[in-house]
Amino acid sequence: MKVLVCVKQTFDTEAKIELKDGKISDAGINLIINPYDEVAVEGAIQLKEKNIATEVVIVSAGADKAMDAIRTALAMGADRGILVKQDSAADEFQRAVALAEAIKAENPDLILAGHVAADDGSSQVPTRIAEILGLPHVNVITNIEIAGGKATCTSEADGGTQVTEVTIPAVVSSQVSWNEPRYPSMKGIMQAKKKPVATVDAAAADAKVKIIELALPPSKTAGIKIEEDPDVAAAKLGDWMKNTVKVEVK
Amino acid sequence: MAQQFFSRRNLQFMLYEVLQAEDLCNYEYFQDHSRDTFELIIDTVSKLATDVMYPVFQDMDSNPPVYADGIARVHPIVRNYMQECGAGGWINPYMSYEFGGQQLPSTVYTVIGFIMGAANYSLSAYPQLTGGAANLLVNFGSKELQDLYLAPMLAGQWQGTMALTEPNAGSSLADVKTSAEDSGQGYFLIKGQKIFITGGSTDATDNTVHMMLARIKGAPSGVKGISLFLVPKFYVDEAGNLQANDIFCTGIEHKLGYKGCPACQLSMGDNGSCRGYLIGEPNKGLAYMFQMMNEERVNVGIGAASKATAAYYAALEYAQQRLQGRKINDKNPESPQIAIINHADIKRMLMFQRAISEGALALGLQVSKYIDLAKAGEESEKNELLIDFLVPIVKTYPAEMGILATSAAIQCLGGYGYCKDFPVEQYFRDVRIDPIHEGTTGIQGQDLLGRKVIMKKGRAFQLFKEELSGTINTAAEIDQLKLPAKMLEEAMIMVEQVTSHLLQTAVQGDTERFLSDASLYLEMTGILTIGWQWLLQGVAACQALNVNVSTVDKNFYQGKMLTMQYYFDYEMPRINTLCEILTRNEGFMSDVPLETFV
Ligand SMILES: Cc1cc2nc3c(=O)[nH]c(=O)nc-3n(C[C@H](O)[C@H](O)[C@H](O)COP(=O)(O)OP(=O)(O)OC[C@H]3O[C@@H](n4cnc5c(N)ncnc54)[C@H](O)[C@@H]3O)c2cc1C
Ligand SMILES: Cc1cc2nc3c(=O)[nH]c(=O)nc-3n(C[C@H](O)[C@H](O)[C@H](O)COP(=O)(O)OP(=O)(O)OC[C@H]3O[C@@H](n4cnc5c(N)ncnc54)[C@H](O)[C@@H]3O)c2cc1C
Repeated sequence: MKVLVCVKQTFDTEAKIELKDGKISDAGINLIINPYDEVAVEGAIQLKEKNIATEVVIVSAGADKAMDAIRTALAMGADRGILVKQDSAADEFQRAVALAEAIKAENPDLILAGHVAADDGSSQVPTRIAEILGLPHVNVITNIEIAGGKATCTSEADGGTQVTEVTIPAVVSSQVSWNEPRYPSMKGIMQAKKKPVATVDAAAADAKVKIIELALPPSKTAGIKIEEDPDVAAAKLGDWMKNTVKVEVK
Repeated sequence: MAQQFFSRRNLQFMLYEVLQAEDLCNYEYFQDHSRDTFELIIDTVSKLATDVMYPVFQDMDSNPPVYADGIARVHPIVRNYMQECGAGGWINPYMSYEFGGQQLPSTVYTVIGFIMGAANYSLSAYPQLTGGAANLLVNFGSKELQDLYLAPMLAGQWQGTMALTEPNAGSSLADVKTSAEDSGQGYFLIKGQKIFITGGSTDATDNTVHMMLARIKGAPSGVKGISLFLVPKFYVDEAGNLQANDIFCTGIEHKLGYKGCPACQLSMGDNGSCRGYLIGEPNKGLAYMFQMMNEERVNVGIGAASKATAAYYAALEYAQQRLQGRKINDKNPESPQIAIINHADIKRMLMFQRAISEGALALGLQVSKYIDLAKAGEESEKNELLIDFLVPIVKTYPAEMGILATSAAIQCLGGYGYCKDFPVEQYFRDVRIDPIHEGTTGIQGQDLLGRKVIMKKGRAFQLFKEELSGTINTAAEIDQLKLPAKMLEEAMIMVEQVTSHLLQTAVQGDTERFLSDASLYLEMTGILTIGWQWLLQGVAACQALNVNVSTVDKNFYQGKMLTMQYYFDYEMPRINTLCEILTRNEGFMSDVPLETFV
C-alpha cells in the first residue's frame, strides 16, 4: 500500500514575525515542518513499520526552501519526496489543486495530512483535495486501522470519539494527539540526503482569496491594576468587564 | 524559565559566515555532509533540547541523585534521554562509519554539545561521557573488547566513564595508586579507589563501563607506569552472559552545582576479583588519555560557554520586562518606571555576558575546525600545533569567565537573581565546575606557559601569532575595523614581550619562578585570543552589513559590531594590567614564605 503525506513548511512557532513591503519576511526565520503534518508523517511511518504501508511518499507544494521540510520527513523515515513548485503566496485553493494534481499522478492508497497549518490556520487544504479528487475525507483522526480495503478512523468529537469507516483511497487528516513524532536520527539524516525527491511544476489555478492587508497584532498595552479591598476590587472588575471589555453574560 | 537559551542565528553566523564550515565537506572524510545535513542535525538537536532537556533543567537540580545500595538513583529522564541519544546516533556522530558513526565534523558536533549544554548541562554529560569512553575503546582497544562493549554503549544502554581521579591523585595523575595484576586469564585484577567519577554507577543504564587508569604491578613509578583498563560493572563472561564485577560505588558527592549528574566514589577489588581488561599496551594509559584530552577540553569550554549563553538570555528577557527606576534625568516621581534594560549599567552587564559567551563559543568552534582540518589531512602538523597551543585557552577562558558572566546575569536580576525562582543562580553554580574538572586552571596555565609556548622551539606560538596576524591584516583593510585591528596588534606585541621576558627566567633554569604566575599568563593570552575571535566576527559582520539586509539581520550584525567594540574597549585593556603584573612581579609568588600565611 502506498501512503502519501502532504506536508507544508511553516515558520517556527516561536519565530518573531516581521513584515516587509506588506509581506511576511522570512529573513532570519527558522522554517519547520508544520507540526500537525509531522504527526501525519509519523503515522505513515508507523504504518510502514507495521508492514501495512509499503512506501511513504512526501509531497509539499511551495518554494524551493520547502525541500528542507521534505528532507526532514525523509530523515524521519519516509521513502521519497515530491516538491510541487509553487509561489509561496498561493492560496488554499491553488495549493489544493496543485497537490491534487501531483497526488493523481502517484495514485496512492491513502493520503494523509495534518488537519491545520500552524501559520495561516485555514484548515482547508486536505478537505479541498478530497473534494477535487472525489475521495472520502475523515478529519482530526487520533487513530487509523487499515484492513480489507477500508480505513477505520477514530476522530475527536464533541465530548467523545467518533469512529468512521471509509473505503480507500481516502484523504485522512490527523489530530496532534494521534502520536508523538520521532526525532530524525543521525543515520536517517544522512540517508535522507540520498533519497529521491522529484520536482514538478504546480498545476495552474486562479486564486480564490485576495489578501488585502497583513498586519501584526497591536503590541501589548499595559494592563490595568485595581488596588482596592477585595469587595471593591471585585465590583470594579465586574464593572470593567461589562462596560469596557463588553463581556456578555447569557 | 526563559523562553530562549541559545541563538540559532548566532550559530548560523558562526558556522557559515565566519568559519565557512561547509567547506569541510570538500574533504573526503566529510564528503557525505553538506550544509543541508548540518542544518537538519541542528534542527533536530534544537528540538530535542527544547522538548526533552530544557523542561527538566531545574527539576534535575532540585532532585539530585540519591545514593542507595551502590547505585546513584538519578532523574528518570536520564534513562529515556540516553536511549533517545543511542537510537538517534547522538552519542558518537563524529566516529567513522566503520564504528557506527556518521563522520560528522567536530565543528558541528561542538554545536550539538553547545545546544545540549545550554538546555541542560547535567543531562548532556551522560551521552557525552559515554561517547568519550567509547572513543578510547575505538582508538586503542582490541577488536574483542570492541565487539563486547561498544554496541551497548553507543546504543545508550551502558554508561561510559573516565575513571582517573583518586583521593591522592587529582591534578597529579602520576600518583595514581590503583593496581592491576595479570591474572593470566586474559584479564587483570584491579584493586584501589577512585573518586569524583561522573556517572560512575547509576540506575539510568543497565551497566557501566569505566575507562580506568591503574598501575600494573612492577611498573615504573610516575606517569610512565600508568596503564588504561576497561573495568565494567558487569563483565561479559566467556559464555556471553553478564556477571557482576567486584567494583562498588560506595557513595556520591554532594555538590555545589552540576547536580543532575552524580560524582561517584568507587571501590575496586574488595573481594579480590575485580576484572579489568587492558586497553592497548601496558604503561601507555596516560598517553592514550591525553590523546583524547584535547576534544574533552574543548567540550568543557563549550559547556561553560553554553551555560553563560543560557544565563545571558535569561538575563536579557528579564531586563526587557522588569520595570524599575527612571531615566536619571527624569525627575518626575509620577512618571512610569522603565524596563531596566534602559539603564546603562544593565546594558553593560548584558554586553559583558554576550562578549564572553559568544567569544568563547567562537573559539570553541575555531579549535574544532582545526581538529577537523587535521583529521582531514589538511596541513595536519600545523593544525595540530594550533590545537595544542589553544587547548588550555579554549578550556580556561570560558570556564573562568563563565563564572563572571553568570554572576553578571544574577546581578541583572537583582534580588530575584539570587533566588531559585529564576534559573540564573543555577547557571552560576553549574558553571563553577569548569575551571576544576579536566585539569584545573593552575594546571592549564602551566601547560600553556611551561609546554605549549616553548614546544617545538616556539613553533606553536609562532603559528598562533600568524593566525592573529592574518585576521589583523584582513581587518585593517576594512574602515570600521582599522582601530580594533590596531588594538589587537598592539596587544599581541605586548603578549610577545611578556613571553620573551618570562622565557629569560626559564633559560636561567628557574622553572619554579618562571611558572609562578602561569595562571595569569593564561588569563592574558585568553583575553588576546578572544579579541582575535571578535575581530574575525567583526570582519564577517561588516561584510554582511555592506549588502542590503533585513531589519532583523541588521540588528543582529550591528549587535555583533557593538559587542566587538565593547570587547575591545572594556575587556582588552585588562591585558595592560596583566602585562604589568607579569613583568614586574616575576617569581614573587614562589618567594612568599609559607610561615607568613597566618
Ligand atoms: C563534579 C566533578 C566531576 C568530576 N568528574 C571526574 C571524572 O569523571 N573522572 C575523573 O577521573 N575525575 C573527575 N573529577 C575530578 C577532577 O578532575 C579533579 O577534581 C581535578 O583534576 C582536580 O583534582 P583534585 O580535586 O584532587 O584537586 P587538587 O589536585 O588537590 O588541586 C587543588 C588545587 O591545587 C592546585 N594544584 C594541584 N597541584 C598543583 C601543581 N602541581 N601546581 C600548581 N597547582 C597545583 C590545583 O590547581 C587546585 O587549585 C571530577 C571532579 C568534580 C568536582
Ligand atoms: C537574600 C536577600 C535578602 C534581602 N533582605 C532584605 C531585607 O532584609 N530588607 C529589605 O528591605 N530588602 C531585602 N532584600 C532586597 C534587596 O535589598 C533588593 O533585592 C535589592 O535592593 C535590589 O532590588 P531588586 O531585587 O528589586 O532588583 P532591581 O531593583 O529590580 O534591580 C535589578 C537590576 O537593575 C538594576 N537597576 C535597577 N534600577 C536601576 C537604576 N535606576 N539605574 C541603574 N540600574 C538599575 C540593579 O542594579 C540590578 O542590577 C533582600 C534581598 C535578598 C536577595
